Amino acid sequence: MYGDLANKLILEAKRTQQLSQAGFNKQQLPVYQDELVRGILKEVGSLKKNVDYLREQQLTDQDNKVAQCQYVVAMLSMERNKRCLLAYQKMRSEMLDSMVWDNNGMEFSSAISNHPNLSSFDSSVLSHAEQEYLKEYAQLLTELKSGELSEIDLTGMLQPPSDVFIDVRVLKDAGQIETEYGVFNLIKDSQFFVRQSDVERLIQQGYLQKI
Amino acid sequence: MGYYDIDDILADGTRFPCRFNYDVPGLGYLEGNPGRPISKNAKLELPLWMVHLLAVVGAQSNEDSRVEEPLPFVELLPPDLFAPRVLNAIKSGATSLDLHSISPHFYTLAEKWATLFSDKELSQVLKDMLLERGQEINNHAISVSMFSNCNQTNDSAVFLQTLDEFEKTIYRDTNVNCKEMKKWLVLK
Repeated sequence: MYGDLANKLILEAKRTQQLSQAGFNKQQLPVYQDELVRGILKEVGSLKKNVDYLREQQLTDQDNKVAQCQYVVAMLSMERNKRCLLAYQKMRSEMLDSMVWDNNGMEFSSAISNHPNLSSFDSSVLSHAEQEYLKEYAQLLTELKSGELSEIDLTGMLQPPSDVFIDVRVLKDAGQIETEYGVFNLIKDSQFFVRQSDVERLIQQGYLQKI
Repeated sequence: MGYYDIDDILADGTRFPCRFNYDVPGLGYLEGNPGRPISKNAKLELPLWMVHLLAVVGAQSNEDSRVEEPLPFVELLPPDLFAPRVLNAIKSGATSLDLHSISPHFYTLAEKWATLFSDKELSQVLKDMLLERGQEINNHAISVSMFSNCNQTNDSAVFLQTLDEFEKTIYRDTNVNCKEMKKWLVLK
């Protein structure tokens, strides 16, 4: 029956939503349901044909209430399919948005696939349009931050810092960084006592851990 | 409750029993035999998103429409969901009811139904149920957050199984709020 495929798509969306709510893999989206979406679009196409045919008939036969009913059913099925598709896509793009914000924007635009921080992120789960969307959204965010709002760090931490200096542990090799207080060589599992504002970005990117 | 709300869409997909008031050719696929007409008085289960309009929109009959109301395409039959049996069960003990097994979207559906038919009794029952179950949900949500995270008692795990989707969001929000509140009190 019409609408069954759309129902499957929505169930899939619900599952995705539940997973992200439970806090599992924030970085991961399930695979894009290409086949289902295609199937639904095909269904809409055939419904459109039906509707066109019925409308022609209606023009010749104004008072036929029965044809009206058929027409209404076809229209409703199309509406339903449209709603399901849009809801599915909106949920996914919202998750992509939040991923871009969490990851600080610019890392995405440079390289979607092979950034160390995003090695867990597999861009093959996205449809082609979604990949484009992700790239452009990240671009927008970068522009926003480097443009008029460059004074404010939009993706900075919201909690006020408790100390000026903090202890950090290095989680991943990150090479050398230079600060006012000298050069640090960030080798895995070493510990440093550094100024928080110097390393905040590195903490966010997952290189360092505050202890 | 928005256009993009996934729970709302799922609720809209629930099937309701209804009866056709007209012979309609070419709609046989609803019944499972495509190409055939659907006959008058045929009873079948259709999803809500299709029925809610068909049950309101009538076929306009010509001149005599002034005299009698146009008959809608389909007539919704009282569903099992809101049978007197269920309503009585709600009235007699809302907290012990397994709402999830009746329907995972009970509230949303009942809301839609009550709007369609201006069912005063149903909405009153619903309000009382929300009040009664809401208190119970609150109790559980608070008690869980006391022992950090995973110390759910058996009792409350069973209760959580009986919530419908709307109540689950209430539970989640309450739980989060309680935790935040406690954190704030400690900081102060």
